[in-house]
Amino acid sequence: MKKNKNIALLVVTLLISIPFMSLAQQAASISISGEVLTPLTLTKADLANYKSASHKSKDKDGKEHEYKGVALVEVLEKAGVTLGGKLRGENLAKVVLVQAADGYEVVYSLPELDPEFSNNTVLLVAEKDGAPLAAGEGPFRLVAPQDKKQARWIREVRSIKVVFVK
Amino acid sequence: MNNNTHISPQQSNRKGFRWLLLSIAVVSVVISGLNTDDNQPEPYPLVYPANFGGRITIPADNPTTREGVALGRMLFYEKKLSADNTLSCGSCHEQKLAFTDGKAFSVGVDKSLTARNSMALVNLLWVRNFFWDGRSPGLEEQAVFPMTNPHEMGQSMEASVRKLQQVPVYGTMFKKAFGTANIDADKIRKALAQFERTLISADSPYDRYLAGTYQPTAQELRGMNLFMEPPAPEKGIRGANCGHCHGGPKTFKELFHNNGLDATPKDSGREAVSNQAEDKGRFRVPTLRNIALTDPYMHDGRFKTLAEVLEHYNEHIQESPTLSSFLRGTSNEKGGKTLLLNQTEKADIIAFLQMLTDKTFINNPAFSDPNKSLKQ
Repeated sequence: MKKNKNIALLVVTLLISIPFMSLAQQAASISISGEVLTPLTLTKADLANYKSASHKSKDKDGKEHEYKGVALVEVLEKAGVTLGGKLRGENLAKVVLVQAADGYEVVYSLPELDPEFSNNTVLLVAEKDGAPLAAGEGPFRLVAPQDKKQARWIREVRSIKVVFVK
Repeated sequence: MNNNTHISPQQSNRKGFRWLLLSIAVVSVVISGLNTDDNQPEPYPLVYPANFGGRITIPADNPTTREGVALGRMLFYEKKLSADNTLSCGSCHEQKLAFTDGKAFSVGVDKSLTARNSMALVNLLWVRNFFWDGRSPGLEEQAVFPMTNPHEMGQSMEASVRKLQQVPVYGTMFKKAFGTANIDADKIRKALAQFERTLISADSPYDRYLAGTYQPTAQELRGMNLFMEPPAPEKGIRGANCGHCHGGPKTFKELFHNNGLDATPKDSGREAVSNQAEDKGRFRVPTLRNIALTDPYMHDGRFKTLAEVLEHYNEHIQESPTLSSFLRGTSNEKGGKTLLLNQTEKADIIAFLQMLTDKTFINNPAFSDPNKSLKQ
């Protein structure tokens, strides 16, 4: 009897909390989707599952900063993007479309991210000088050390989509 | 067809007769092309300058056709689409005001005010997320909202379908546009979207300047440079950096920013759509095309003049956690917190903004109320 009462209480509590759950803010995350085998949703905590990578660079302010994160290619590999031996034929006509919270978009081609093609490493970073990226820059940003202009160092990354150029 | 072909007076009459025959043949081919047996609607040519870029959106199931656009234009100005037959889309989107209504908020059929300022309808082909908060991914979907919202036109799509069924001309027009006289909600929004896609503005003095056919005044050129340039006091470069978010030949970029109107935004903007705290107070960065005609400004119409808008960006940006990083600490003075443009520079920028007014667009008879032009 008491058990049933507890279950009833639990059900009522759950029902009451449904509207609040839908109002709850989503934790900051990025989605990896499109031409992938496994779509991913990554939070900052998930980045700990990848090998750490960092880059020191001067920002627009002229000061040197250390960005810390992971190689973007590793995240794409985890999602099952056609890289390495599979990056051939029509797969060379895919691009990585990166979108920011404000709608800003940039693309990378797969070969420029793939270590079998390029010695450059594009980083998906979440920390700057040992602290989480500030609002307006983070929680996620790309760092492309090989780019002379930082226009593809896209801030506030929300989604990464692998798409065929039709 | 070949009206402009020159025939010298020396050429014989016989040659002229042959031309006549050929012309008749060409015209007959064109006419027979128009009168196709299967009554297929004719594609509507969407013409725009190459520098606008081809990233346009036309759904595969709603190609733009002359017949669909003609129907959409009728519907755009159709007051029967509102609950009390007093409002059409055109009531809050007047062509002479670049498809805005000159009010901070618009009055709906229930006499209440809309939550946000009526947006300019222009170059929508290049827009990917509609409304001030970008909540709607396409024109077809967008159109339903103002029609059915109780504080706007306030009528269900079912009621609209029933009312249009009572008007014989619509049966004919729907048949021409969609191959069936069977009126439904889906076809209403499709036709409206087709008409809206034709609202292309590409003939402002700024467009002509980019095409090399207009020489701006000295003031307009100064304003243009200030508009485009980010300020760099250490290099002696003065600028307002407007182009960072409003640049490009279309003076529109698909962006959403908190432009520092309030320290605590009353309207949460894009946050309500994305459910992400970082989006609080973020709104569409609107097109600046015809901006001199679309006052009052901002999502809540708080600024009556362009001078007030410039004052805001120059001196009154409000700090908040989601303030656009591009508006923070951008200054023409070393260590300055705000833009710090002088009066002449502000006037120069306004002179440039007036270069974005496209008179061809606001006077284009193809965009006007078809019933009014019939009466004239």
